[in-house]
Amino acid sequence: MQEFKLPDLGEGMQEAEVVEWLVKPGDTLKLDQTMLRVETDKAVVEIPSPVAGRVAEIRVQDGQVAKVGEVLIVFEESTTSANGGSSTPSQSITHTAAAIQSASIPTSDPGSQTPATKQRVLAAPAVRKLAFELGIDLEKVTPSHSNGRVSIEDVRSYVERDRASSLLPASSPALVEEKEGEQPVSQAPSAMIHKIEHSITPVQDERQPLKGLRKRIAEHMERSWRTIPHATAFDEVDGGALATLRETLKPLAEKRDVRLTYIPLLIKLLIPVLKEFPIFNASLDEESREIIYKHSYHIGVATASPEGLLVPVLRNADHLTLMEITSNLEYLIEGAKKRTLSLPELSGSTFTLNNVGSFGGSTGTPIINYPEVAILAVGRLQDKAVVQQGTVVVRPIMPLALSFDHRLIDGAMAGAFLARFKGFVENPQQLMLDMV
Amino acid sequence: MVVGDVTTAVDVLVLGAGPGGYVAAIRAAQLGRHVTLIDYGLPGGTCLHQGCIPLKALLSASERYQQTRSEELTSMGIYVEAVSFDWASMQAWKQGVVDRLAEGVRRLIAGNRVEYVHGTGWFINAQEVRVEGEHGSLRFKFEHCIIATGADAAPLSGLSFDGKQILTPEQALMITEIPEALSIIGDDYIALELATLFARLGVKVKLLSPGEQLLSGVDSSALRLVHAGLRKLGIQVSTGVALDSIAERPVVISQGVCPRTFDLHLDAVGLEVIANGGIKVNSMQQSSVSHIFAIGDCTGGRALASIAMKQAKVAAEVLSGQRVQFAPLVMPLIVHTTPELATVGYTAEEAAKAGYNIVTGRFPLAANGRALTLGNDNGVALLVANADDGTLLGATLVGPRAGDLIEQAALAIEMGATLTDLSEILYAHPGLSETILETAEGALGRAVHMLAKG
Repeated sequence: MQEFKLPDLGEGMQEAEVVEWLVKPGDTLKLDQTMLRVETDKAVVEIPSPVAGRVAEIRVQDGQVAKVGEVLIVFEESTTSANGGSSTPSQSITHTAAAIQSASIPTSDPGSQTPATKQRVLAAPAVRKLAFELGIDLEKVTPSHSNGRVSIEDVRSYVERDRASSLLPASSPALVEEKEGEQPVSQAPSAMIHKIEHSITPVQDERQPLKGLRKRIAEHMERSWRTIPHATAFDEVDGGALATLRETLKPLAEKRDVRLTYIPLLIKLLIPVLKEFPIFNASLDEESREIIYKHSYHIGVATASPEGLLVPVLRNADHLTLMEITSNLEYLIEGAKKRTLSLPELSGSTFTLNNVGSFGGSTGTPIINYPEVAILAVGRLQDKAVVQQGTVVVRPIMPLALSFDHRLIDGAMAGAFLARFKGFVENPQQLMLDMV
Repeated sequence: MVVGDVTTAVDVLVLGAGPGGYVAAIRAAQLGRHVTLIDYGLPGGTCLHQGCIPLKALLSASERYQQTRSEELTSMGIYVEAVSFDWASMQAWKQGVVDRLAEGVRRLIAGNRVEYVHGTGWFINAQEVRVEGEHGSLRFKFEHCIIATGADAAPLSGLSFDGKQILTPEQALMITEIPEALSIIGDDYIALELATLFARLGVKVKLLSPGEQLLSGVDSSALRLVHAGLRKLGIQVSTGVALDSIAERPVVISQGVCPRTFDLHLDAVGLEVIANGGIKVNSMQQSSVSHIFAIGDCTGGRALASIAMKQAKVAAEVLSGQRVQFAPLVMPLIVHTTPELATVGYTAEEAAKAGYNIVTGRFPLAANGRALTLGNDNGVALLVANADDGTLLGATLVGPRAGDLIEQAALAIEMGATLTDLSEILYAHPGLSETILETAEGALGRAVHMLAKG
């Protein structure tokens, strides 16, 4: 027997969620065969098998969170498992042989006999009763106690997690479902469910456990929204000069095989503004009640992945040339979409830029990427009629929305920040003034 | 065919008022159902009127009688001048016990507003039952039906029961004259208890077992104590007896039971039956027709009232909309011999055969203070546990009150208790339960009141 514990996955991560087991008990694995996908803060990591052998037991099931050092899986190594391993001394708590029932109680129905190899799940009669009532296979319930006993609470929390899959009808004995139309009206809820399912097309709401990336996004958003008093300042900026600049640089960049978009330009224009208004590149230490001014400029870029929002981080953006920003960003966004980024590439941003225009819609109010103190959303560049010196003219307009932590930043500061940024966007050549 | 009979619509119809039927009726009534209970006799069934209760009552009476003649009394300083018994009075006392219990059941049935109809019922179709009884022929249309018609003593081919020379166990308990000699064919607990009863009353008893072993499945060391007890009572035990050669009379045939389903007209419903004629059910006690349930002996399973009573509750609860099943892990079994034997779960042999890595414990009653103070130290306690995790797998108890102690082991197994659990709790001293403590500690290698081997 060999146990495999959740290793330290770096960056001080204390726990990880089991996204998916690619193996099941009884499978025989090769050394280094990928057996498991776990998700840390925002990265999905594939874990290879540390041994060649047979899987005896999986301790932490899909969707559960494991702590570093917790046993995830138990192997019977190949040297001892040649004949099914029944003679291998086992440290596991489950029985390796027949449930008592199969020998002691001859059932009148041969079809319902427990197979002789079925393991007994340690559970008190009341727990077994509840499991049957809820249609739960006790073998699938992971005990929360190290003694391996399944409790009433374990069954209930299993149900909570797995409500989505239609467990109830699937595991009921075959005979229950015949002649449903004849059940009297005084039936308890569980039986009513059966009835509806058979008389009309099932119209049950689907419930899915909140897990994986979605769960993390939800937790992150909740934390941000609960902790930070959000306020949002809006403005619009004439993007004419920016568009011209991009048009000029784009063919030059293409010669170096780089596709120049607006975001790298906006990041380049954002850096001097952040330097000028350091409170926007800061965070609040809630315990010590101190403001931490960050001297590095790691810009988070909100990106849509198939599984949900990810914020890859462009580290030390202030030290990068426009070309470097552009190609790094391309790598990060591609990696985010494929979920191949490592943890450092997904954490540690000091300010976040959100190109809501790329998601469709003209603008939106962004939620601050906690523990940052501000986030800037740039909307879609659209031709609009604006009044300039008493005349209506058509200009490419870009909406801006700056959400800020009102504990640290006042509306006036937000307004000043936006005005300064707007100045840079409308006159991007200002960058030349401070260029080294 | 009755012309112009009126159909009475009922909610839940229970056929048979034995320990299965009346319990099902009461539980269904508790859950708000309107229940009609059909039986040709008094509520309580075979168990109360002809089987378990009369047998245990007579066993107690005969044990008291026999004890007065034992040498142990003299050693306690009690000298008995003359003791005799009167079989008719003993029967009357037994009947008093039965009547009292039957009256209790009748009150429970009435108190739960269950309607009791005397008669014999059979199926007309999957919704209707005809009942022929003292009030003529009645026709009931039901929403749900629970079949609890029990079982009859299984006959031996060539020997038909006449109630005098060839007897069922029930008939043996009702004989009016105690015979001088009695032969009993069988190897189950009923055969052993009947042999014990009559031998205690001075009857020359022959126990003829067609099999090689009495009480198959019981640990052999425990069985030796039971055999010794039978011998001490003068019972002549023969095993491997050819049934066709048995000429002794009177003879009691205890060869198990046959489900009483033949007169139910199950074919009118299309109910599936299993090989022995029992009604096929799932773990929720539903037959192949889901609004008809069957419980207890008529399902062809092991004929024990404990099983029927639990299945009764399952059936009543399922038809009232609950999702429950009959799924005990173990089944306690008691044999009222001298010494008394009780078992639950696996024996060591069965557990090993089932693939468990086992550890066993054994403690003789002779080392238990309470057994000595009872003047009854003939016995042993045996426990079997899973060596991998210490969980209890089985227990065999021999000695006084073994049948009352066995439920501790049953509870421990059902709860998944370990030897350590058993050794951590307190046992009143001096008590027979302490044998379980000592056995558990023995299995853990640290029994205090017994020296370790070697």
